[in-house]
Amino acid sequence: MTRRRIVLLGATTSLGLAVSSFIYRSMQPAAIHLHFTAVVGNKVLVYDDHVYANPGGRGVFSVRDFQMYLSNIQLVGAAGTYSVPDSYHLARFDNGSNSYEILIDAVPRDTYSRVMLSIGLDQKANESIASVGDLDPNGRMAWNWEVGYKFVLFEGSLLVDGELRPLVYHVGFSENRRKLEFDLPEPALVWSSKGLAFEVDLAALFAGNQVIDMQALSNVKFDREDASLLANNYASMVSLWSTQ
Amino acid sequence: MITMRGVYALTGVVLAAAVYWFLLRSVPNPTPIQNFSAPFVYGHFRVPVNNPLSEEGVQLGRMLFYDPRLSGDNTVSCSTCHMQHLAFTDGKTRAVGVSGKTLEFNSMSLSNLMWGPRHFFWNGRAASLEEQALVPIQNLDEMNQDMDELLEELSADDTYPALFARAYGRISPENIAKAIASFERTLVSADSRYDSFLRGEIKLSSEEERGRKLFMAHPDVKVSLRGANCIDCHSQFLTSGFNAFYDGFTNNGLDEEASLQPGLQEVTGKRSDRGKFKVPTLRNIALTAPYMHDGRFATLDQVLDHYNEGISVSSTISPLILEADNGQANGVASDASLHLSEDEKRAIIAFLHTFTDQHFIAAEQFSNPFEQ
Repeated sequence: MTRRRIVLLGATTSLGLAVSSFIYRSMQPAAIHLHFTAVVGNKVLVYDDHVYANPGGRGVFSVRDFQMYLSNIQLVGAAGTYSVPDSYHLARFDNGSNSYEILIDAVPRDTYSRVMLSIGLDQKANESIASVGDLDPNGRMAWNWEVGYKFVLFEGSLLVDGELRPLVYHVGFSENRRKLEFDLPEPALVWSSKGLAFEVDLAALFAGNQVIDMQALSNVKFDREDASLLANNYASMVSLWSTQ
Repeated sequence: MITMRGVYALTGVVLAAAVYWFLLRSVPNPTPIQNFSAPFVYGHFRVPVNNPLSEEGVQLGRMLFYDPRLSGDNTVSCSTCHMQHLAFTDGKTRAVGVSGKTLEFNSMSLSNLMWGPRHFFWNGRAASLEEQALVPIQNLDEMNQDMDELLEELSADDTYPALFARAYGRISPENIAKAIASFERTLVSADSRYDSFLRGEIKLSSEEERGRKLFMAHPDVKVSLRGANCIDCHSQFLTSGFNAFYDGFTNNGLDEEASLQPGLQEVTGKRSDRGKFKVPTLRNIALTAPYMHDGRFATLDQVLDHYNEGISVSSTISPLILEADNGQANGVASDASLHLSEDEKRAIIAFLHTFTDQHFIAAEQFSNPFEQ
């Protein structure tokens, strides 16, 4: 065998191996990313600063804490719907980058055209004390063992005429789970290295379906009508923002 | 004939054998801990990958915890301020160490340390139990021990060298910390009346049950729900602060703006963390008086009075404390009061007593091994 033949054989074998490895890898389940960035209307989210106008009344408000449960992520593909197992994610944005990322391992390869997820929890999870995903009965989102979890937690204060009012919005109850669906403009984007980018607009909580005067309604906890009012608002809080 | 190649080969074999012998000697193979369990309701726990719980590590840690030789003048051990019969507190307003000075903080109870806030000390300055363990030993007022001297003392002892060899290898500050942290991780309190209640074995008295419901509720006048909002900071089963990030630290209205101590701000550098301190577990709370990070309240009655009508308002106080009101709240921050009745306060205190775990404070495996 001449040296040229050896080189040729080696190159062909390497190329074959590379191609088959690529094909093999592209068929294997892989990780996907869902990236959420929080904003307040058209402003950046900052904490502990009275810089946002009360949407339905007087005064300015600050955000001290904001956390929300996202759950039951599903991907609708050509071969069927993939439901992410134990999909309970506690999103929070107090990390300097105002972002939260969900990494989902071992997603089967498919041409996914739609993503579904919920704000809040399904009834079974909401009534459970098992530590599954980010569910934690000893965590801050646990209301108590009879009531289940807070789905969305917003705490802060409203400054009106030099006087501070605490703001406490804890929205829970199984009926306030809101299911969201997003059609993907490009099915391949699920597999892009940057993942899917969503925007979470905190302002929508108070100025969505209904505009809320935070002075008149400075807290929402166990009153079911108030809770559903905010839930109808937060249903439009998350948008598929960009895929770049 | 001996060739150079032969010499090289022989040298290689000898070196490899030496390395193998050294590794065998320095990497012990301790026994994974036996018979360790924790209640389901406490949830998952994590132990550092580089310090798995072992029988040998825990045994060594227990000895170190109770050994006064860990202090400079051999008079003070960890157990001086963390006494088992007081759920590992000392009954003092603020701790006193070898210098005799009254220190800044109240000695914190040690139980269920694998859950709840993952930062230790009242201001959260240690990110692990291992990191925490070495601080009081070397603090001039607490135990005032020179680390090199301690290593010498332990190396000259009859039993410690063998115990270290079996558990971790050599005697080092890192391994002292690992051993103490391991012992502390085994301090699980989960056999109180509240635990029996959670397991469905007993019913609480009607007063305790009333207290439980108040403890577990943030009040909402709009739906006639009365509550003492304890659960806003103390998780329902562990009764500790929350474990995520610094969620287990709060400003609970002890001081006005001008007299706020730095607290968590010393660790995070954030102005918004000023006056925040670690939310402690309430397990065995009836045994761990005085209360708060500086021990300012002598009794649980005083604690309840503070939350009910003694709140000092400041810029970093928890909005949950400001907003919680069982009366006709006017929504203004400067007017914070829970408006609980005397009966309700008594009921909450009755419920707090159900956290007392007699088995925990009598358990032989947590007791002083030098007194057996």
